[in-house]
Amino acid sequence: MSDQGSMPPPPPPPPPSGGGGGYGAPPPGGGYGPPPPGGGYGAPQGAPPPNHLVWAILTTLFCCLPFGIVSIVFAAQVNSKWAAGDVAGAHESSQKARRWAMVSAIVGIVVIGLYLVVVLIGGLASNSTA
Amino acid sequence: MSLVQHLPASRLRPRRREVLPTAAVTAAAAGAATVLATVDPNQAGHYPGCPFLLVSGLYCPGCGSLRAVHDLMHADIADALARNPLAVVAVPFLLCALGAAWARALGRRPPSTTSVPAPVLWGVLVVVLAFGVLRNVPGWSWLSPA
Repeated sequence: MSDQGSMPPPPPPPPPSGGGGGYGAPPPGGGYGPPPPGGGYGAPQGAPPPNHLVWAILTTLFCCLPFGIVSIVFAAQVNSKWAAGDVAGAHESSQKARRWAMVSAIVGIVVIGLYLVVVLIGGLASNSTA
Repeated sequence: MSLVQHLPASRLRPRRREVLPTAAVTAAAAGAATVLATVDPNQAGHYPGCPFLLVSGLYCPGCGSLRAVHDLMHADIADALARNPLAVVAVPFLLCALGAAWARALGRRPPSTTSVPAPVLWGVLVVVLAFGVLRNVPGWSWLSPA
């Protein structure tokens, strides 16, 4: 941990990843840059992308079934890819998790709105015929 | 596991952009909980029925969560568990998440859900799917919302 001039302060030592000791031997010239996708260096340093798990759970259990489950899949993908050092993939899954959480929230609201309209019209119709 | 990421210098600077959305979510959650506490979802006609249940006749993983929240607001945990055990388990998690959102908005660095080991989240997925199937299976009626 020596001469990375403009880098943030050295991170805490990563967990040992296999026999070789993880970051013990930095790649030549590479230093602490983002690890290559799928590289075997364990979780990268820095702020992980959000996995939007909270919205996935909310939409699954309190809103609208199928899309919420898709959001859970992408949330889990964010963690898997981040833990594997795949920074770009983790960010991509994070975006997808966010998109699907929004889709399920919007679809949920629209369906409930339409349903309310149908129920209201049905109620009015049955009232007028009764 | 990288539960502790290195902290940036701006650790305690509040993020004003996040305060308003977090306050809005908090207000919405409090409002929904209040409505659910006062307008009883056990009474037919208070809320529209679930379209998914109407169309398919099946209980989805979210079925019974309105009644469960109503029971929780009245401190009736046994009834809440009978309506939707997964929703009851989710509520403390969601409250923690709300607390974490406030901590983040006020400039702290609470642990992120991305720090959770990935197998835990895959486990959540399996549990939700299995719950959604089993609560429709005869013999597993303790999971059904009825």
